[in-house]
Amino acid sequence: MQHNNNISGVPLFFHRRRCCSVFLFPALNQSRRRLMTSPAPKPAAAESFGSPLDSSDDEAPEEVTFQASKASALQSLKRALDTARREKELLKEKRRRRQELFQEQKVEFPVSWLVVSLKGNYTVQTVKERALASSQQQVALDFLQSRLYGPGSCRTTSNELLSLQNKRGRKKSAAVQFVNKGWGEFSNM
Amino acid sequence: MGEFKVHRVRFFDYMPSAIRAMAFNSRTERLALSRADGALEVFNFADSYFQEKVIPGQDGRAVEALCWVRGRLFSAGLNGEITEYDLENLRPKYTMEAYGGPVWTICSNSQGTHLAIGCEDGTVKIFEVLEETIRFQRNLDRQKGRIISLSWHPSGALIAAGMMDMIKVFNAESGHATHRLLVERGVGASKSREVVVWSVAFLSDHTIISGDSAGKVQVWDGVTGTLVRTHLVTKWDVLALSDESSLLAGTSEGTVVQFQFISSTVDQHDKEWVRTRTFKNHTHDVRALAHTDTAVVSGGMDTQLVVRPLLEKVEKNTQESALRKIAFPHRSLVSCGKKAGMLLFQFHGHLELWRLGESDGHGKPGDSLPVKRKPEKLIQLKRKGDDHICCSALSPCGGWLAYSTISSVRLYRLQYNGSNISITKVAKLPKVLRSAHQLCFSSDSSKLFASTTHSSVIIIALSQSECKYLHTLRPKSGTRQPVHLMSASEDGKWLATANSDCEIHVYSLHKLKLHCTVPVYSSCPTAMAIHPTTSNLVMVHADQQIFEYSLVQKEYTEWSRKLQKQGLHHLWLARDTPITHLTFNPRNPAHIIMHDTYMFCIIDQNLICKTFQVRSLFGVKLQTMAYHMEHLLCVSLLEDHSLVVVERPLLDIASQLPAPVRQKKFAT
Repeated sequence: MQHNNNISGVPLFFHRRRCCSVFLFPALNQSRRRLMTSPAPKPAAAESFGSPLDSSDDEAPEEVTFQASKASALQSLKRALDTARREKELLKEKRRRRQELFQEQKVEFPVSWLVVSLKGNYTVQTVKERALASSQQQVALDFLQSRLYGPGSCRTTSNELLSLQNKRGRKKSAAVQFVNKGWGEFSNM
Repeated sequence: MGEFKVHRVRFFDYMPSAIRAMAFNSRTERLALSRADGALEVFNFADSYFQEKVIPGQDGRAVEALCWVRGRLFSAGLNGEITEYDLENLRPKYTMEAYGGPVWTICSNSQGTHLAIGCEDGTVKIFEVLEETIRFQRNLDRQKGRIISLSWHPSGALIAAGMMDMIKVFNAESGHATHRLLVERGVGASKSREVVVWSVAFLSDHTIISGDSAGKVQVWDGVTGTLVRTHLVTKWDVLALSDESSLLAGTSEGTVVQFQFISSTVDQHDKEWVRTRTFKNHTHDVRALAHTDTAVVSGGMDTQLVVRPLLEKVEKNTQESALRKIAFPHRSLVSCGKKAGMLLFQFHGHLELWRLGESDGHGKPGDSLPVKRKPEKLIQLKRKGDDHICCSALSPCGGWLAYSTISSVRLYRLQYNGSNISITKVAKLPKVLRSAHQLCFSSDSSKLFASTTHSSVIIIALSQSECKYLHTLRPKSGTRQPVHLMSASEDGKWLATANSDCEIHVYSLHKLKLHCTVPVYSSCPTAMAIHPTTSNLVMVHADQQIFEYSLVQKEYTEWSRKLQKQGLHHLWLARDTPITHLTFNPRNPAHIIMHDTYMFCIIDQNLICKTFQVRSLFGVKLQTMAYHMEHLLCVSLLEDHSLVVVERPLLDIASQLPAPVRQKKFAT
C-alpha cells in the first residue's frame, strides 16, 4: 500500500498492483463544503445549464449552479487526480527502474553467462564469482590499512627509524641513506 | 686451511613477509604462524625451535587468524573462508566459505568441539568440529558492527566478542548477547574515531580483558558487565593479547607488556592484574602473540619471530634462557649450479637465475679482487597461477631448472648460445608428478628427484629436452611425513632424504631401492651431504649435533663415535641458528664446509684432539677481519674451487619494512 497526498492535504490510498485503484473522495465533501460557503456561482456554468428563464423563486437556480459547480469541481478534481496519478505513475516507473538496476547488480547465484550479442550496442559479460567477495575483502583491507597506517596513526619512515638507531647507538654514524653505498650496483638489475 | 676466492653475493633481494597470526599448541609443543603472503610455518619448540614445516601461500589468501584444535590447524581470512591444513602434505585440506564476508578471527572452545568465527557482517558463526571436516551449526544474534576478536570462556558457555566501540558477551547456547561493555574512545583527535577492540581474552573467573586501538588494556567483570581497571599501555594500538599463566599485550610500538594476577603489595591478599614487565624486542607493530609454559613468543611487521623465555620459569644464564630471534628461514632458498657458476634464487612469486661474475686477479687473504665481468641476471621466471612456489632446483650444469607449487611441477630446459640464453618449458611431465615438497638434480644432471607424499621420491630421467618417469622410491617405515631435505651423491650412487619424523633414508640409485635407514636421532636433521669419495653421510641436526654414517658399512664412522664421546664444544652448541647447508672440499677430503645464519666454518676431521676444533674463517663476530659478512643465506663451493657466499644484510630488509610508529626519543 502506498500513501500519497492529494492537493487538499488528505491522504488517498492506492493499491500497488494497479488492477484496482481505490479512490476516496473525502475531498469531494470538502470542496462541496467550500462551495456551500463560497459566494456567487460561476457565470459560465450557469450559462451551460441554466435556461434563459427568469429566475423565479420556485426554481432552484442553486441546483443548476450546484450541478455546474459540482461539474467544475469534479473537473478540477479530476484534473488534480490526473496530475496526482501521473506523478504517481512517474514515481512508480522510477522505482521499477531502480529495482531492475538492483536486480542486475545483485549476484545471487554463481552465474556464468554466455556472451550474447543483442541488437544494438549491447553485450553481456560474464560476472566473476568472486567479484563480490574480493570487493568485500578490499574494504576490509582498506579498513585495516586506514586504522594502522591512515591519518592519525603517527607513523614515520623506516629510514628515520634506522637513522635514529645509527645516531643513538654505541657507534654513532650518519643517517641511513648516506651509509649504505658499496653494493648498490648489483642490487637492482 | 687453504685459500679460497670468494664470490660475495648481495643481490638476492630476499624479503621476508610480516607475521600476521600465531597459535601455540601446548600438547604437541608446536607453534604455527601465518605470514602476510598467506604462507604458514610450523616450529617445533621442543626441538630447538626448528622450522619444521612450511606451507606456501596463495594469492588472495589473507590469513587473519589461526587456531589449533587438538592436532588440527585451522585458519580464517579476509577472503571469507575457513581453511583446514593437511600438515602431512603441506597444503590446505579444504576450504569452507563462511558466507559472512571477511573473517577477522577464529577461536576454538577449550573442549575442542566447536569453532567460533567473527565476521565482517556482524555475525559470530559457530561450527561443529567433526572427524574429517567442520560443519556450520548456527549464527549468534547478528550485530550492527564487525566482529574483530573473539574469546570463549573456558566453560564453553559464553563468548566475548570485541567489536567497534564495544565488547559483547554472548550466551553460546541461546545466541543472545547478554552484556554490552562500552569501550571509551581515545582522547583528543582520536575521540572522533571509533575505537577498535583488537583483542579480547575471557578468563575462567569471568574476567574479560581487552586491548584496543586507543592503547588501553582494560579489565572487565564479565558477570556484572562493569569496568574494573584501565591500563594505558601505549599511545598507539594494542594489537594482540594472549593469556595463560599471565597476560601479554602487544603494541604498535613493538613492545610486549606482561600483566600478572598478583597482589600489589606483599601483605595484601587481594589479587589484581598488575603490569609487571615490558619487553621491547621489535621495531615495528606486534601483531601476534603466544604464551608457552616458559616463554613469550611475539611476531609482527618486522618479520622476526622472537622467543623471550621468562626468567622465573627457566634457569638463568643457560642456553634455555637466551633470547631467540628467528629472522631467516631454516631451509635454503638458493640453488647453486656448481659447474656453471650460476645461482637460482627462490621467491614466492618468481625465480631469478644469475650468472656469477668473474675475476682474474690474485691477492692476499682479505683483498677485494677486481671484477672482470659483473654478475648478470639471466632469467626472471614468474610462476603461473595463484599458488606460491614451495621449492626449486637448478641442475649443476645449469641446463635444467625446476620448481613446484602445491598444484603443479614445472621443468624448464635452458640452452646457452654464447651470450644468449633460451628457456623452454618441458611440456609433458609424467602424470605421477603432480607436486613436490623438495626437488633435487643428480650431479650429472641426468635425473630429477622429486619428493612427494609419505616421504616417497619420484625419479625422472632427463635427456635433451625430454623427460621420462623412471621409478618411485619408498621408505619402509610407513611414515606419512613430508621430506624436507634431499641430497644426491656426486658419484650418482646414493640419494639421502630426511623427513619431519627425523627419519633419514638412503636409497641406492643403481639398484633403485632403499639401501638403509640411519638410526633415528631425537632431533630433526637440518643439513646433510654425502662425501664424494668415502660415501659417508654427514648430518647436522637442529640441536647442533653432528653425525657421520658410513653408507658402505651401514654404521657410524670412527670419527663420529669419537666426536660423540668427547662431546661438542659448548660454544658450538650455544649457537641459536641451525646449519642449513654443508658441502665438501675436493682439494681436501677431510674438510667439511658448513654455515648457519651468522657464520660459516670449515671443520677439519683430522684435528680431533681433546676438544672439537672449529676453525672459523669468516664470521660476523670476528673483529680482526677487514670486512665482515652479513647474514648468510647460502655458502657453497663451485667446481673451480671458489666459494660463493650469499649474504642478506638485515639493514636491506629493515629499510623496506612498512612504516613504524613515530616515537619521541630523548635528545632527538
